[in-house]
Amino acid sequence: MPSTETVTKYIELATRSNGEAHVERDTVFITVPPNKLVDVADKIFNEYNCSFRTCVGIDERPLNGHFSLVHLFTDDKAGYYVAIKTYLNGEKPLAPSITSVVPAADWCEMEARDLLGIEFTGREVYRLVLPPWWPDNLHPLRKEVPYNYRPEPRIESEKLSYNSEYGVIPLGPYHPALHEPEYFELYVEGERVVDVKYRGFHVHRGIEKLAESRMNYQQINFLAERICGICGFVHSTCYALAVEKAAKLEVPERAHFIRSIVLEIERIHSHLLLLGVAFHLLGYDAGFMHVWRIREKVMWLAELLTGSRKTYGINLVGGVRRDINEEKKRKVLETLRELASEFKSFIEIAISVPQVKKRLTGTGVLPREVAVKLSVEGPVARASGINKDARRDLPYAAYKYASFKVPVYSEGDNLARVLIRVDEVFESISIVEQLLDKLPKGPILLTDFEIPEGKVGVQVVEAPRGGDIHYVVTGRGAPYRWRVRAPTYANIPALRVMLKDQPLADAPIIIASIDPCFSCTDRVVVIRNSRVEKLKFMPL
Amino acid sequence: MSLKSNILKKSLWVFHLNTGSCNACDIEILDALTPFHDAERFGVKLVVSPRQADVMLLTGPITVESLPKVINAIEAMPRPRIIIALGSCGCGGGIWHDTYSTTGGVNKLLEILKNRGVEVDAIYYVPGCPIRPEALLYAVALIKGIVSKKREMKVYKAE
Amino acid sequence: MVIKPLKLIIVAGKKGRVTVKYPYKEPLVTPEFRGEIEIDPAKCIGCGACVRACPPNALELVESEKEIMLRYHVGRCIFCWRCVDVCPVNAIRGTRNFELATNKYTDLYTLVVHGRATCEICGMPVETTRMRRHITEKVPIAEEYVTICPECRRRPFAEKTSWKKVGPGELKK
Repeated sequence: MPSTETVTKYIELATRSNGEAHVERDTVFITVPPNKLVDVADKIFNEYNCSFRTCVGIDERPLNGHFSLVHLFTDDKAGYYVAIKTYLNGEKPLAPSITSVVPAADWCEMEARDLLGIEFTGREVYRLVLPPWWPDNLHPLRKEVPYNYRPEPRIESEKLSYNSEYGVIPLGPYHPALHEPEYFELYVEGERVVDVKYRGFHVHRGIEKLAESRMNYQQINFLAERICGICGFVHSTCYALAVEKAAKLEVPERAHFIRSIVLEIERIHSHLLLLGVAFHLLGYDAGFMHVWRIREKVMWLAELLTGSRKTYGINLVGGVRRDINEEKKRKVLETLRELASEFKSFIEIAISVPQVKKRLTGTGVLPREVAVKLSVEGPVARASGINKDARRDLPYAAYKYASFKVPVYSEGDNLARVLIRVDEVFESISIVEQLLDKLPKGPILLTDFEIPEGKVGVQVVEAPRGGDIHYVVTGRGAPYRWRVRAPTYANIPALRVMLKDQPLADAPIIIASIDPCFSCTDRVVVIRNSRVEKLKFMPL
Repeated sequence: MSLKSNILKKSLWVFHLNTGSCNACDIEILDALTPFHDAERFGVKLVVSPRQADVMLLTGPITVESLPKVINAIEAMPRPRIIIALGSCGCGGGIWHDTYSTTGGVNKLLEILKNRGVEVDAIYYVPGCPIRPEALLYAVALIKGIVSKKREMKVYKAE
Repeated sequence: MVIKPLKLIIVAGKKGRVTVKYPYKEPLVTPEFRGEIEIDPAKCIGCGACVRACPPNALELVESEKEIMLRYHVGRCIFCWRCVDVCPVNAIRGTRNFELATNKYTDLYTLVVHGRATCEICGMPVETTRMRRHITEKVPIAEEYVTICPECRRRPFAEKTSWKKVGPGELKK
């Protein structure tokens, strides 16, 4: 719960560094000059032990002639969001890089460089988000570039680079082991992979720019839902909560309960999906078919409650569009009870299959210190001993009315990541039963409200893969800036550590165990490593 | 290609091509192979390479980054080539049909293929967001000739 | 050790066959499912509220000199039913259709063609005839204003106020 002693230490830190701070409900906004940025970030990350979430670049030239850069941290013990802002020059924006003290900030800085043109000092730079042939001084997120300006796309594909020292193996973008397009070029020396060239971003669709131009506040709920097809409702709820926080709206309680119930149903479906895919990659196809047969019931429940099997479309700013009556409540409880007993008897059989048990134990270990430095999220963090869950630390929607356990294991291997998801399925079923019991009466949608300009809202929601954060600056009729950082974005750098010294055949299951979702991410990673086997396939 | 109708009535081998979609349509394609909807009754099998495929399942608005690779994959298919464009993204470009990083669905792709001389024998459109597994099975049954088309253009005059 | 995985056979046998043989039997669809929408041409007034609410621009107003056409492109529709929520005359109704596959692109369109009314003073085409009728029914006093386009409405008002400020003899526009 937020308390006043923790807030005073942030305010003191800001005034000591020639800046200023103010607090609004559970967010602390700090503004510092650019030369003090690295010291403040160091203190907050390493001494106060906050988690780093993301950084946002904003083009504020129409308002005050500057660019600005905001770094977002969360203090999980005390329940606060901390937003650190600096203002940069409007002609040639230049910012110091904080990757020397916060290694997790690597990719978001490169993204700000590609999309807005902000240069960083103190680190090596590379092109991350846009294709390599994109013209150099066309930065799509700047306010003068229209959202539908398309340079002529290149139709000729590139050729393989020839290297006389090592052999070259191309992998992808369309390969039987991949469900999403990614491209790898592997340099091998005998049987060891020495270097990898990766090109991702095949799924970058220009969502943040679209939200600022053609859309209005209510339409963006549907856009956010389609960022990812598997955890879409999380993005839509997080956006609605962030706007409601910025505009200080009082949403009816019944709407919060319905949102939490549908969030938990999405969590059950996502974990069962991953278990099925993991069994398929280990060669146990019977397990894949049975788990997806059990999962089909959850899809029917979702269709009954919301109207569509996936991409539910019931969230609006101010509440929800569909209600739960007595008949649906009874059906949900009955189906979940059947599902729990079927799943329990099945998973005991599946985990005891010899190939599953032996291949999962002891492989892909992520030690705790590395996990803290890279600020990983979700089941990957909880399997390495970090006790972090946004439903309990920064409570939102109706989670304060339900009591649930957060499973934490300390081994950090693949089996721990699988068992955590099995435990979470049972916890989710219990949360849904508790919330359906306590459902209050009342309206479900707030209709008469106004959204003021220039307010800021930050919100973290716990997706099945980890913590998802949305940052909204309100404008007139549409947001002025909207930034999304999905959980897989923070988990992929941890793959570099997890794959060291592992046999090549275990690479697919190690990658699948972090449950990667590239359409949430659409980022790129360049992994350079020598004298160690490397990951190749990126199945979903 | 008059042999086409005889050969393809028996079984269709599909290749799944994701050109930048959000993955909802992709997991519904996998769902069509699981016990409740069982696409293998129609002889449908997911193959590993476009060179073995009869039908290409295209999901996603074709992003500028993946456009050259999609063209390579379609050129690698042997004749007769059938493309099924799935979902709102494939048929009309979807909710992001005019942003800087997408090319707006399968129509622009067909123009580019015609200019390069690559012929596509049939193309089917399946609307939905995401598509139901039953809608995909309906499209497969339509290709095989089991069911007939239900959707037609309607023009109403209101004075 | 080997016995436990074989218990799966018992689980599978107890469950039996769960496949629903789709085109020959009815699919499992709940009554809440959101499918295609249907526009009632007798009620639609061509106001464009659904066009402004549609996130992927599947509903569009195509304007020409004599007609305004409401075009529904089911290929781009995301089946969110926001148009059903915002229509002021309840002309749009949702159905449970999902069997929409076709091999001709023009099959995916539905068109509702409205006639256009013109301004009495300048003759430029403005809104649809039905919308004009709808406004006069709802707000009877608007009958004097609704037959004139917004430009022509503004001009006499601007002339009158500028005349007042400057006084007779000097006309400043």
